[in-house]
Amino acid sequence: MSDFIAKEGVQNLHKPGEKLITTHCCYCGMQCGMHIRVNKSTGNVVGVEPRYDWPVTNGKMCPKGVTAYQTIDHQDRIKKPLIKKNGKFVESTWKEALDLIEKNFKRLQEESGKDALSVFGGVSMTNEKCYLVGKYARVGLGTRYIDYNGRFCMSSAAGGFIQTFGVDRGSTLPWTELEHSDCFFIAGSNTAECHPTSIQWFWKAKDKGAKLIVADPRETPTARVADVHLDLKPGTDSALANGMLHLIIKEGYVDEEYVSKRCNNFEELKQNVEKFTPEYTSEITGVAVEKLIKAAHIYGMSPRSVVMFARGVEQQSKGVDNVRLYSSMALLRGQVGKFASGVATFTGQGNGQGGREHGQKSDLLPGYRKLTDPAAVEYISSIWGIDPSEMPKPGVSAYEMFGEIEKGNIRGMHVICSNPAVSAPNLEHIWNGFKKLDFLVVSDFFLSETASFADVVLPATTWAEDEGTTTNIEGRVIRIRKVTEPIGESKPDWEILSLIAERMGKGKHFSYKKAGEIFEEFRLATKGGKADYYGITWDRIDKENGVFWPCPSEDHPGTPTMFEESFYTENGKANLGIVGWKEAGEVPTQDYPLFLTTGRVVFHYLSGNQTRRVDFLMEQCPEPFAEMHPALASRYQLEDGDMVKLKTPRSHMTVKTKITKAIRKDTVFVPYHWGKELAVNQLTSDCLDPVSRMPEFKVCSLQIEKLPTKKGVLTRE
Amino acid sequence: MNKIMYLEFERCIGCRACQAACRECGDHDAKERNYVEYVDFTESRQTYPMLCMQCKDPACARVCPANAIQITDEGVVLSAMEEKCIGCRNCTFGCPFGIPKFDFEENKMYKCDMCYDRSKHDIAPMCASVCPSEAIRFIDFDEMQQLRRRRSQMNLVEGKKPQEGNKWEYVPEFFGVYTD
Repeated sequence: MSDFIAKEGVQNLHKPGEKLITTHCCYCGMQCGMHIRVNKSTGNVVGVEPRYDWPVTNGKMCPKGVTAYQTIDHQDRIKKPLIKKNGKFVESTWKEALDLIEKNFKRLQEESGKDALSVFGGVSMTNEKCYLVGKYARVGLGTRYIDYNGRFCMSSAAGGFIQTFGVDRGSTLPWTELEHSDCFFIAGSNTAECHPTSIQWFWKAKDKGAKLIVADPRETPTARVADVHLDLKPGTDSALANGMLHLIIKEGYVDEEYVSKRCNNFEELKQNVEKFTPEYTSEITGVAVEKLIKAAHIYGMSPRSVVMFARGVEQQSKGVDNVRLYSSMALLRGQVGKFASGVATFTGQGNGQGGREHGQKSDLLPGYRKLTDPAAVEYISSIWGIDPSEMPKPGVSAYEMFGEIEKGNIRGMHVICSNPAVSAPNLEHIWNGFKKLDFLVVSDFFLSETASFADVVLPATTWAEDEGTTTNIEGRVIRIRKVTEPIGESKPDWEILSLIAERMGKGKHFSYKKAGEIFEEFRLATKGGKADYYGITWDRIDKENGVFWPCPSEDHPGTPTMFEESFYTENGKANLGIVGWKEAGEVPTQDYPLFLTTGRVVFHYLSGNQTRRVDFLMEQCPEPFAEMHPALASRYQLEDGDMVKLKTPRSHMTVKTKITKAIRKDTVFVPYHWGKELAVNQLTSDCLDPVSRMPEFKVCSLQIEKLPTKKGVLTRE
Repeated sequence: MNKIMYLEFERCIGCRACQAACRECGDHDAKERNYVEYVDFTESRQTYPMLCMQCKDPACARVCPANAIQITDEGVVLSAMEEKCIGCRNCTFGCPFGIPKFDFEENKMYKCDMCYDRSKHDIAPMCASVCPSEAIRFIDFDEMQQLRRRRSQMNLVEGKKPQEGNKWEYVPEFFGVYTD
């Protein structure tokens, strides 16, 4: 064996002159384990090496993960603060930028009150940063207006889980148990493209005979390998789930002992789903009756099954209802709180789980405490060293903040680690909002579409230049390690927030010297909350390959499987979903006869601000496309690659067609990772879920028109 | 090296992590040497990885007039030796799988060498290491034999077998084909 190879544990190629730093990928909720290769003498990042000993991903990575390190010293990195002068960005010093921010923030608050400022956070950051963003808004700036991009991503899952189980942890079971499951019911998730490293677990189970049921309007790479593919009409998930509940009850698959001991409202549920016969369900959803019966049969007969879902069911105007109904399927089968079975949602962003627990939501404080609960306010105020009366009241959700800008209530904004100018719905409204703001500060490491609207851009660091923890898809808290020193004059977000807070006269609340100090305060802030991280330490995470929350004390082993004994509701029983069927917020009409749905491709992440700068990923997927069925294409005399104009009641755009039988005949799919004229979110609807305030990205009505084929750059007419 | 590369096409999810990872391998100069293809995108999303088969009697080496393509003791077929290669591109025409490619700027041939710096120490090549769906695996010969047997058994259990003329339909059919 060569000297180049690590002597202990699982072998990795260890090249001379290099060290391997153990960390996790910066992109989706899988948070795949990886080693970053660093040149020992220069400290530069030179590549990546799989991490075979990480139990969740076993060295597997997707193309984004393999190339993630290339963003660290990318030529587009912002290395100095930028100030907009005469419409152009000019490099400045930190002092100049902070002086300008202090002057404008103070001016706006003096003129229009504390709530004139707002903070728009993100969840591709560590728990420490997410926690600090909440504290920065409420203590540093004293504003009620704070929300984050998780509102576009996770909030319906959170709302549904809280209503059903009393607490929101995205997965009730660890991923490593999935290989022992007998059946996966996956709804609205293109797992193979959005969380590729999960697929190994499905295949491991499938090799032992497990079955896969996928509900999706598209025959995604995940649906392609399903035993049953329920190709439903976009926006009809609640009917499909009710139909499945109907069949589970009618066919006698209910675990009656479990339901009577651990669930509320079974009789109401029974009554509610009475009318959702396979025929009625098929009429609404467009899924063949035989397929519904087969799916219910496979799911109902499986001793260990997992119901999983993602943005497909959550990004709807009834996303919370969908989550409740799909979760109820697992409850009726008595699967929640047991080995290798349960309910899970795929977190889209790196820290989609942790980031939603620690006070970035407009109505929540750290540890899932409610801002409307006086005891919670008192406890967090004591940790933050403020008077409870100083704690701002709940604000509004992410999209609604732009309504407040329109009304003139919000005049300044600080966007941190987020790019709503691409990822929000109904983009013209968002762009107009940014233009209307008196003062916009953006912290980012690339000049994103949102940053181009800013008055000041502050150079932040990538995930590899800072340290901290994130909470992965399973609820496992893991360590992100510092790999290299910050590039240029960039600074970690927590340092930037502390500097601004100091300028706003709140320096004593933000006297951190390193990320570890924030973690200690954060542990205390979550103590006793529903999302209790108090017992988790960085040392424990290293020793135990991550620790699952809730973990209330240092001698507590963590909670890989949730709800083994009881639920977090008032009487300890889960609430079954009693929800009828409603149309989507916008449905096809004579003028707009088709469905438009949006989503991801495997090569890009969120708004594409990072992945669009990586050569390999751009080579694979350089521009958006309109995916449609050949039958639909022929109706409009379109051939593969023809330019097509997509129009919804809000706006229009031009893209190339991509023709495949792997989609419904009434649906067009466009990925959303591009900005400006290539942003499909110009077209998407701003219908919000009444509970989670999450926009309906997955359904809106669409009209298409053939254009003369144009080669070259796409332009908006 | 005691292991072999095993491909299971129907597992491929088309993510091309194998290609991205191939570029990361030691001396690959950021060029991938394996490929992922669609069977027929208009019909299905079925993709498959295409790697060098490391043939026992490789056509690329046989047609090389300069004898520039070496085969290691372990049976790994390497890229053409720069000092011997005359740039005739016979190898690129000779390979039935389209694996060897020619870099006209650098004037040299490159092909999959199974990440020889890794695989000679029994560490999985980069493509097999990262493949999220385990469509590409680096496993023992015995394990491969078992997997092949199990695959045939599963086909029998499911009552499926490929028929003359519809071999491309076979894979999507087996794993659930999209229907109206």
